[in-house]
Parts: sequence; structure tokens; C-alpha cells
Amino acid sequence: MENKVNHTEVIYGLYNDEEDLLRAVKSAKQDHLEIYDVYSPFPVHGLDPILGLEESRLHQAGFIYGALGTLTAFLGMTWIFTKDWPIIFGGKPYWSVPAFIPITFELTVLFAAIGMTVTFYIVNGLGPGVVNNHLDDRITDDKFCIAFDKSQVSSEKAQSFFKSTGASEVNSKTI
Amino acid sequence: MNQYTLTASHRNVLFGAMGLGIVCLILTWIGDDAYHTRFWTNFLHNSVFFTMISAMAVFFIAVCITAYAGWHTNFKRVWEAYSMFLFVGLGLLLIVALGVYMHWHHLYHWSDEAGVQNDPILKGKASFLNKNWYLFGTVIFVGTWAFFASKLRGLSLEEDRVGTTSFTQHKSMRFWAAILLPIIGFTSAAMIWQWVMSIDAHWYSTLFAWYSTASAFVSMIALTILMIIFLKSNGYYTEVNENHIHDLGKFLFAISVFWTYLWFSQFMLIWYANIGEETIYFRERYDNYPSLFFGNLVINFLVPFFILMRNDTKRKFGSVSFVAIIVLLGHWVDYFLMIKPGALINRNHAMGHGHDAAPAVGEAAHGAEHGAVAHTAEHASDFVAGFSMPGLLEIGTFVGFLGLFLFVALTVLSKAALVPKNDPYLEESMHHHVI
Repeated sequence: MENKVNHTEVIYGLYNDEEDLLRAVKSAKQDHLEIYDVYSPFPVHGLDPILGLEESRLHQAGFIYGALGTLTAFLGMTWIFTKDWPIIFGGKPYWSVPAFIPITFELTVLFAAIGMTVTFYIVNGLGPGVVNNHLDDRITDDKFCIAFDKSQVSSEKAQSFFKSTGASEVNSKTI
Repeated sequence: MNQYTLTASHRNVLFGAMGLGIVCLILTWIGDDAYHTRFWTNFLHNSVFFTMISAMAVFFIAVCITAYAGWHTNFKRVWEAYSMFLFVGLGLLLIVALGVYMHWHHLYHWSDEAGVQNDPILKGKASFLNKNWYLFGTVIFVGTWAFFASKLRGLSLEEDRVGTTSFTQHKSMRFWAAILLPIIGFTSAAMIWQWVMSIDAHWYSTLFAWYSTASAFVSMIALTILMIIFLKSNGYYTEVNENHIHDLGKFLFAISVFWTYLWFSQFMLIWYANIGEETIYFRERYDNYPSLFFGNLVINFLVPFFILMRNDTKRKFGSVSFVAIIVLLGHWVDYFLMIKPGALINRNHAMGHGHDAAPAVGEAAHGAEHGAVAHTAEHASDFVAGFSMPGLLEIGTFVGFLGLFLFVALTVLSKAALVPKNDPYLEESMHHHVI
């Protein structure tokens, strides 16, 4: 991911409001301007379908991690309590399925939660000590941003687009 | 089309279903034992099931109002219509309660005064498990729910007619809803203990009311999904779309998981503690009803869990209505499993000792005749028609009660506009969008 974003010259406009952003993205789509990326401090409702983003596959990964947790817990306890170290608890059989259920549930949740978090961090290039190049620090606070790749969309075209859609500020940057 | 009309063909179908139900009840009565246990268990089972569904409808209306929820507003008339069934349910359960009072049936071991005197456990519970409490609870508590249901519906209809932007009616609804919540929370538990749990009178579980209420809640959501899809397929409710169904699907999923959690919590604690007087409930079902016992978990947990886990299956009418039908039948079977085994034991007990249970002079003698035969059945785990497994008569009775429930609901729906007017949350509901 890091390598891919190197040395791209972008021109970007900042908007003050997510409604302005949504309108601007819509009109960019209508004008067939290829959007490099859109940045926002929080998820904007309805933005994904307009941008035509694919649905995240994170939850499918989550299901696999969860199932892995289920198997680990259940098979692990089965092995421990029947083969490795059989102990009788309260006169119950060695292989006491009802007693395994709560732990199986816990490990399912734990594996799914940790697996999804780690996957999310890796896919998005996040993590402790990682330095991210923001186009503008304010997009993590109160500004909404649309960026165009200058090799795809000419500066003049981008300028007039930002002006017509009410961007509060237009800048260029090499990232 | 904002005004529903019950067409003649639909009405005929519902009358047909009700007719089938009556025929099945009569056939059950004719081929029954001296106490008519199969008839009375079927009657109690379906009355409680559908009354609890309508109680959950008024409960959920109150929850939504109190929680400032707006997603459901454009189809809230469906729940209002369901809640009006409480008046019918009150009548049905009154028959059961009078049956306890007049000894028409022997569903409850504790209703047999002579037997209770020799039974220290039942004697200890007699201040709650007695015919006066049963009748009082049924009439007063269900009557209270019905009163609140009609109050909330009345305000909702008044809002349609005279509602303004000061939202007087909505504020008033919030007042009544907030009062209803604690009342229905405690009284529904008390009534579930009386109606259902006290069939196994020696046994008790503090979780039981939660568990059976969750069961009714899932059924209510399933019936709501089916009703909305039915109305949409007839050209009504164009405003209600897959986003509303998606949220109902989430409830169907979530409360199914919640039900499983409660089912398992009840089971595991009793299994772990291994105290004879507690395990007896599960021992009976585990040994003599294994297919229903485990099938219950498969259809009420695994099916909704794995099918509704995905986003798109909650939005597609086909998959969500498929699960709704499965789960509705599944929770009906769940109530079957709560009621039938205990009632069968009570019957065999009473028939085996036909003299000490005196439902009526004529019937007691009649019961004693069959005593010897029934006594052997008490100790055998043989298949008993209508108890070991829902038979055709049980299914027919269910269809009959479902027909009655839907007839009442659709008749109430046809009395008012489908989409309410002047509700403060109406706009929010119209623009409801979840992904």
C-alpha cells in the first residue's frame, strides 16, 4: 500500500460539510471525472454506493476466524478432557459438551474480534509506529476532501469543478 | 393504497382456517381421554402462544415509544392490530381459567385440592398456585395489557385525526408506554408461571419467564415480517421497504440468539447443579422427546443464525420470510414442549389415581374406569398421540388459531389508515435507510 501511493501528484479540494461532499461526489461521477480518493473524518452515510465501492469482505474473514475459534476451543477441550488429562468434575462424564459451550462461545468471539482487528490494521496499513501521510491534517478533524490524480484529471478541470461545487479550499500535493 | 380492505377471498381463507381449527378441536374432544387432556392442552397451548404474541406486540410498541425509536413508525399499525388480539386472548384464557375453577380439566396438578394436602411442595406454593390467583391474574393482568393496548391505539388513531405539531397525543402515548413497561414485565412473568410453568408444578426455574417471553417475541417479529410481506404483495405498504425488513430481520436474528442464550442458561445451570427436583424437567424431555428437544435448537437457533447472519439475507423477502415461517413454527413447537410433557404426566397421574382427583362427579367415575389402562402408560415411554409429537389435530388447531389471530389483526388493520398521520417520527421512518 505504501509504495502504491508514492509520488502521485494530486489536486484536492476541501469541503466544510458532508452534504456538500456528497453533492460534489455525485456531480464528479456525472462529469466522469475519475476520483483518486475521498477523505472524511467519519463515515458519511450514502457515500459508498455513490463512489461504487465494493462491500467490505472483512466480515467474511470474521466468520472464518470465529469458526476457527469454535474449533480450537471445542477440539482443544475435547482433547484435554478426554485424552490428555481426564478429570471427573461433579460426577459428569469426561466429554461434557454443555460445560464446553461457554468457553467455545468465548473463544469464537475472541478469535473473531482479534482476527478482524489485525486484518483491518494490515489491510489499511495501520498499526503502532506507522506514519501516515495525510493530504491535510484537517481531514481528520472537520474537513471533507475529494482528491484527483493530476495525470488523470487536468488542474484546470479540477479547479473549475471545485469552484462549481463549493469547495472552501483547493491545494496540490505530491504524496 | 393507504386503506386496507379485507377481501372476500382472504376472509374466506381465514374462515376456512378457523373452521378447520374448530373441527380439529371437536375431533380432539371426541377421541380424548376422560379429562380431555389433549383438547385442553391444545387449547391452552395455542391460546397462550397467540396471547403472548399480542402481548409482545404491545410491549414492543411501548419499547419503541419510550426509546424514541422512529424506524418502525410507518408500519406500527401492524403491531397495534396484533395487540388488539389481547381482548380475544383474554376471552380464550378466561375459558382455561374457568376450567381450573370449575374443574373442567386436569391440566394442573395443583388445582386438585385433595392432592395438594398430601404434597408438601405444592402446599408451600399454594398461596400462588391456586385457582383464585389463576383467575385473578388472567383477568386482571391480561385485562391491564389489553387496556394499555387500546389506550395506545386510541391515542394513535386520535393523532391521525387531530394531531398537530405540538404532538399532544405522542406525549400522552409516551406517558402510558412508560407505565406499561414495568407492569407488563412483571405480570407477564407471573402469568407465564401460572399458565405454563405450573403444569410441572413441582419444578420451577427463575429463567422460565424470560425464556418463554423471548420465544413469543421471536414469533411476534416473524409474524410481523410475514404480515408486511403479505400486505406488500397485495399492493399495500409501498412505503415499507427492504430497510424496514432488514431491521426486523435483525430483531429476528438477535432475539433468536437471545432465546438460545436463555434456553442454554436454563439448561446448563440445571445440568451442572444436578439436583433431582430441578433436572426432572429436562430428564423427561431428554428421554421421551429427544427429536423435539434437539430439533427445537436446530430450527430455532441454527436455522436463523446461519441464514440470517449475512447482510443480504435479511433484506431479501424470500430468505427472510422463509426463516420467519420456520421460526414461527419452531417456537410453536417450543411451547408445545413446555406444555405437553408435564400435562401428560399430570394426566397419567390423575388417571392412575382417578379417585383422588375429582374434576366432576361423572368424569371421576369415568376416569377410574380407565385408571388401570392409564396406569401402565404412566410408566412406559411409549408414543402418545398428540403428546409425543404434534399430530394432525394439533397442526389443524394451530391453523385455526392462526386464522383467528390473523382475522382479528386484519379486521383491526382495515379500520384505520395503514400508514399513520401526524406521528412525529413518520418522516424518519419514511427515510429509514440502513446501509
